Amino acid sequence: MEKDSRPKWDNPTQFLLACVSYAIGLGNVWRFPYLCQMHGGGGFLIPYLLMLFLEGLPLFCLELGIGQKMRQGSVGTFSSINPYLGGVGLASVMTSLYLCLYYNIINAWSFWYLFNSFQSVLPWAECPINTNRTGPVEECERSSPTQYFFFRETLDISSSIEVNGGVHTGQALCLLLAWVITYLFVVKGVKSTGKVVYFTATFPYFVLVIYLIRGVTLHGAANGIKYMFTPKLEQLANPTTWINAATQIFFSLGLGFGSLIAFASYNEYNNNFERQAIAVSLINSGTSIFASIVTFAIYGFKRCVCVTRLLLLNTFDIAEDNITLDTALDWVRELNMTYPEKFAEIADQLQTCDLEKELDTAVEGTGLAFIVYSEAITNMPLSQLWSVLYFFMLLMLGMGSMLGNITGVITPLRDFKFFSKMSNELLNGIVCLFCFLLGLGFSTPSGNYWFTMFNDYGASFSLLFIVFFESIAIVYIYGMKRFEKDMEDMVGHRPNWYWKIMWKVVSPLLLLVVITFYIVGYIQGGTPTYHAWKKELGKTVVTEYPIFGQAFIGLLLASSISCLPIMALYPFLTPVADRYRI
Amino acid sequence: MWKNTFFLFFILSACAEELCKPDASNGYKVRLSLKTALGDDAYTWNKNEMFLFQSTLAFAMRTSHTGQSYEISNIVVCNETDRVSFWFVVTSPGNPTELVENYIVEEAIRKSRHRINSAFLLTDKTLEFVGILPTLATPVSYDTPPWLIVFGVLMGIIVAGIIVLLASSIVKRKRKTRRTDEEEADEETRVKTMDNGVYNMSFSVEDKLTQM
Repeated sequence: MEKDSRPKWDNPTQFLLACVSYAIGLGNVWRFPYLCQMHGGGGFLIPYLLMLFLEGLPLFCLELGIGQKMRQGSVGTFSSINPYLGGVGLASVMTSLYLCLYYNIINAWSFWYLFNSFQSVLPWAECPINTNRTGPVEECERSSPTQYFFFRETLDISSSIEVNGGVHTGQALCLLLAWVITYLFVVKGVKSTGKVVYFTATFPYFVLVIYLIRGVTLHGAANGIKYMFTPKLEQLANPTTWINAATQIFFSLGLGFGSLIAFASYNEYNNNFERQAIAVSLINSGTSIFASIVTFAIYGFKRCVCVTRLLLLNTFDIAEDNITLDTALDWVRELNMTYPEKFAEIADQLQTCDLEKELDTAVEGTGLAFIVYSEAITNMPLSQLWSVLYFFMLLMLGMGSMLGNITGVITPLRDFKFFSKMSNELLNGIVCLFCFLLGLGFSTPSGNYWFTMFNDYGASFSLLFIVFFESIAIVYIYGMKRFEKDMEDMVGHRPNWYWKIMWKVVSPLLLLVVITFYIVGYIQGGTPTYHAWKKELGKTVVTEYPIFGQAFIGLLLASSISCLPIMALYPFLTPVADRYRI
Repeated sequence: MWKNTFFLFFILSACAEELCKPDASNGYKVRLSLKTALGDDAYTWNKNEMFLFQSTLAFAMRTSHTGQSYEISNIVVCNETDRVSFWFVVTSPGNPTELVENYIVEEAIRKSRHRINSAFLLTDKTLEFVGILPTLATPVSYDTPPWLIVFGVLMGIIVAGIIVLLASSIVKRKRKTRRTDEEEADEETRVKTMDNGVYNMSFSVEDKLTQM
């Protein structure tokens, strides 16, 4: 029978590492520290960990369990539960496809930065000189070298989503490389993926530890960490904090893409997925917290304080060793009192060195990871080494997540008779080529705006919807009793009261609450906006999406969600036996 | 006569001091960051260092403004601070009450910037002439940008890897089909011995029958 010839992981460790590699991505490194800092530092851990146990862990275990039981991709799994539910699986595939289209561009950026690190002076450390050789390029002077390098030399960004141009060659080549490597990793299905994840899952930790050691020896590290972990418990009264905690856990674990179901479908029948689910979820959250310690130790206030100190020295002609990096901010206060008029002259140049404000300016989108971190790197001695290490780590994180996403697309496709006849290599190649060609659109001048649109709308709200229906489908339509029996069959014991309560009541309810908040947010938020880079100002400006942009957002949201009702009609049109290979 | 020369000298120095003041139209502010540049090896700024500065600047003026022989007294300094910053103006050798135009001074400093920096073991960033931007080095232009080289290497390795993998799987598949073809051929002979329930001994292999 063909089911017995379904490829398998070589051992359970490969499956575990694949899940870890998939779940731990760029969000753990840049989004969690940002959220942590915005919502009260150490206090944010309370809603975060609570949501982990109420929502993240149960849903993760559920997806693994159903995948291991059904041994099919998301489409096959849900069609087997109930022919009307094929739409849930198809919506997962569509969302995974959107993610595959735009996610690899981040890996392309990582490659671009990685390759550009092999120079004696990092290109984002200094402003390039303009054609007259009179000074630095204007756009760079107005913003900063790291922002200039990202927006101009990496993206060659246009001033709005309406303005377009040709493909950026460097970006396109890096994207090609990213897809070629993705193909190499998935060409033989789980046989190749299983070997790759040993490296992609473990290397980032190696780099994080090195960075932690480097970070705590930097000046101002203690300040940075203290600033981040000081709990501001009043933030807990803000409902946004709780919603953000719920969404962060949810998206961080990668639920709803069908990738977990796909990975689990290649498991041995008796694999203990319950223990692995707990392990992966805890590792994921632990890594987020660890990464934020590293981030804040490194970033700290260093550059801002250096700049402030220099400004004070030069304006007030104070001896150099009188103001140190530690005392700079105290001097600000003192000088403000003693020389108010002179201080007023420089007041607008003076940065408040408020980490929140610093993060605020570049917070939209993944640009944060590239701008903020690359700036911190330029301040370290031997910056080329640190740069290579850091961007290689970003690559491993991104590639690991990419493997999961592409598997989430290919595995359900193989469930269809038409595609199952193709060889592994051919199908994987076609999918990769298709995604690469469409992904080239993100390397155009307005590409980053489209990227942000996909990032914000393509794979966010629809996932909540999908997972909600998944949990209802498994718990109520497939039946809790049947699932308990399956679990006993596979693992050896029935789920205890914690799992049952979470699956039946708490998790679906939480999802419903978050979905409601999202819908309310969309309605109240008015016209969706994005941050457009203006070269004359040297910073981003909040702009509304034009009509075609808003239409496209609607299309993105509708296309995946509408799969559910549309596929519900499918059984009326075709007899069941013909559709899927049995 | 002595009184007159003394008086004249007094007037001249007083004039010179008046010529030099902060925000003077033809003056420049100089800022040194000794601790930043040299750390623990930083020397203390004192009158001797100032003397060196005046002489270096006089040298720069002489080199640039050919024909004029500037003396140390033509470089007038004032407003020294703890930062180590001060203002200076340059007076004309012919007429000590007249200031040299700032564009001439600027050109002189630009031309000899490297020599001035070296005299103090400083760089363009740590010995600042406020208002005079250092002549910027020609941006290094590569024939092939370095990133392209690294990209090419990596791409080559990956493509080679893919070709190897695909080739090995094609070879494996060919080997498998050849083996299954042989197996099928064996099966056919087996089947043929049992055609229509009649054993055709001429095709059978002894041990196969005895096994049954």
